[in-house]
Amino acid sequence: MERFELRRQDLSLDDDQQAVREGFGDFFTKQVPSSLVRDAEPLGFDADLWQRVVAMGGTSMGLPEEAGGDGATLVDLVLVAEELGKVVAPVPLVSHVVASRLLARAGGADELVAAAAEGERIVTLALQPVVGGNRQLVPDAAVARDVLAWSGEGLTLHTLAEPAAHVPNQGSTPLAWFDPAAGESALLATGPEAEQLFRTAVAEWKLLTAAALVGIAASALQLGVEFAKSRRTLGVAIGALQGVAFPLADVVTELSGARNLVLKAAWYATHEPDARPELPLAAFVQAAHAATEATWVSAHVQGGLGFTVEADISLFFLRAKGWSVLGGDPGQDRRQVAAALLAAV
Amino acid sequence: MDFSTVELTPEQQAFQQEVRAFLDEIVTEEVHEHERRTGDGFNEAVHLALGSKGWLFPAWPVEDGGAGLDRVCQRILALELLRARVPGITASTTGLVWAAVELSADPELAAQLKPEVAAGRVRFCLGYSDPEGGSDIAGATLRAVRDGDEWVLNGSKLWTTGAHNCQYTFLITRTDPEAPKHKGLTMFLVPLDSPGVEIQAIRTYGGERTNAVYYTDVHVSDRHRMGEVNAGWATLQGPLSAEHGAGRPDDGLSDIGILMGTREFEDAIDAAARWARRTTRPDGTLVADDPVFLDRLGALVVETEVSRVTPGLMGRVKSSLSYIDGIAELIDLVGPEALLAHGADGAIEGGVIDYAHRFAQGTATYGGTTEVFKNMIAQHVLGLPRLSLPGSKQFVR
Repeated sequence: MERFELRRQDLSLDDDQQAVREGFGDFFTKQVPSSLVRDAEPLGFDADLWQRVVAMGGTSMGLPEEAGGDGATLVDLVLVAEELGKVVAPVPLVSHVVASRLLARAGGADELVAAAAEGERIVTLALQPVVGGNRQLVPDAAVARDVLAWSGEGLTLHTLAEPAAHVPNQGSTPLAWFDPAAGESALLATGPEAEQLFRTAVAEWKLLTAAALVGIAASALQLGVEFAKSRRTLGVAIGALQGVAFPLADVVTELSGARNLVLKAAWYATHEPDARPELPLAAFVQAAHAATEATWVSAHVQGGLGFTVEADISLFFLRAKGWSVLGGDPGQDRRQVAAALLAAV
Repeated sequence: MDFSTVELTPEQQAFQQEVRAFLDEIVTEEVHEHERRTGDGFNEAVHLALGSKGWLFPAWPVEDGGAGLDRVCQRILALELLRARVPGITASTTGLVWAAVELSADPELAAQLKPEVAAGRVRFCLGYSDPEGGSDIAGATLRAVRDGDEWVLNGSKLWTTGAHNCQYTFLITRTDPEAPKHKGLTMFLVPLDSPGVEIQAIRTYGGERTNAVYYTDVHVSDRHRMGEVNAGWATLQGPLSAEHGAGRPDDGLSDIGILMGTREFEDAIDAAARWARRTTRPDGTLVADDPVFLDRLGALVVETEVSRVTPGLMGRVKSSLSYIDGIAELIDLVGPEALLAHGADGAIEGGVIDYAHRFAQGTATYGGTTEVFKNMIAQHVLGLPRLSLPGSKQFVR
């Protein structure tokens, strides 16, 4: 591995990227108060909000222009996903954007791609390869009739008459069991190229979910810091005490590293996809860790209050794990990160 | 945002080749052996050779003793110096102190020192920590008392790394013990050959040599005072902020955060990865095929990737603490072979993992402990209130 490569290390956003961040940041902040998140429980889907996300261009922006999209890059998409995570918006945007991109790349029917771009048909992706007739839990499958899945036969589009039944879960996500034998199925693509498309989609899902987890961590941190500034003990704000301040300093450190690793991975995936294919997985591992730590520390800084359902930190704490676990055991990602190093040294 | 490979002009390519060829020639195995033996972070022959090329202060104009390098060539040089493992501690402290000399020293003295510093013949070290003080350098007790056109110094400093290879130390002294803590300090550039200066070696198990420096009735001319009397804290801030990594140019031609030991950690990880590819378990299976090994190694690789992109002071904390945690884990993964010393039968790649484990432990202290930086992160990044302690503003002995 070339450790002393002369590459730029520039994380600054250009004007367009800044506009994406601010535009979606304002949108989600205004449209998604915590009351809306609570009202959408336990399913974790708000149909009105979904329509507004569609109107913002959230469902089409990541598709190529010839498929009715704006050709947004993964850098743009991670910026959107972080803003979504900051308010834990109850919309299946990450799965839908990733599955739509896969559908377009794999030659899915034009009408379906167009319906996905317009958010009329929600599509999602089975993140684990299908083995035999085994069912698996698929993110957002409780609101999506269309599930893309990879098996030994190839990449298949599974379509049900109605989305599968929701299974209540800790993160209040629209999780459902996906049964590969149910409904209609159409083989879209086969062979090594199709498998590569599937693996790329899984990496994209992990990258965008990592960005959303960074957003969760950022909001959790903010709640903890605000509490630490105003809550007093022994005559001082508790945030002045190192026992409180240091865990929060650790959180912002882990979170900043996670955010920048997500951006770096998105840059590579956009501009040099073959150079560092393991980076989205590394970013996912770190973001899942940062969100877990941030939400726990923030809840704990708030003491007993942080353990109550009433406190907004509860929304973030329950989703930090509830969203990250959908990607499977990070140990699998760590093994791939190590394998990439072993192949390079 | 840009992580692309920097495209070099033919001149820049030629410069890169020139640097590599020059370093191949001057950074011999003897240089590495000298560094292992002394732990000096300095090699005089190499330092002077770099000075002769203008590469100690590569951005300076040629007529000032620099090399007039553009930002890309500066980055090329910095990466090649790292690749060649050039001992660079004293070069680095000299650069830090120079920033203060330029700002605060008597202009004649600065003009006189500049060509010598550029050539490598004059070098500076940091006389910051009192034996009782550690990272609380504003609590300095080393006393400076005015005596006509001179000052008389009494006291001692620890961790003056490189003092035995330097001509001057950038010394923080207490000139007014009655004033508030930060208002009674004065900086000096003290010639280390002054009578009454005694340098004693201190060895770390990271293999480094640092020093205790004792000052007994040391007379230093007022000309060597840096900045105003009792304004030493402001004088010191220049190089300190440089040491803490403030003011990163935004052209993407420097590291994102302050890396403390990440390169040493990566060297050890890479060596362990190569070891895993050639080593079999007692049952005949290759270590590299063991999913448990891969899981644990992958966790360490993620830590280095994160360290490289964690910005500023946060990167300084992240890189050091993840290195200390991670290198211990790496040794567990490899086993006793990992701790075999350089030259021992079976040592892995010259004992690189053994070295990385010992070296890691100091990185949480250099330039201020990680706790000092966590305080700064809490206050400056998060906006948390500062805790007022008895010694925060007052000089408490």
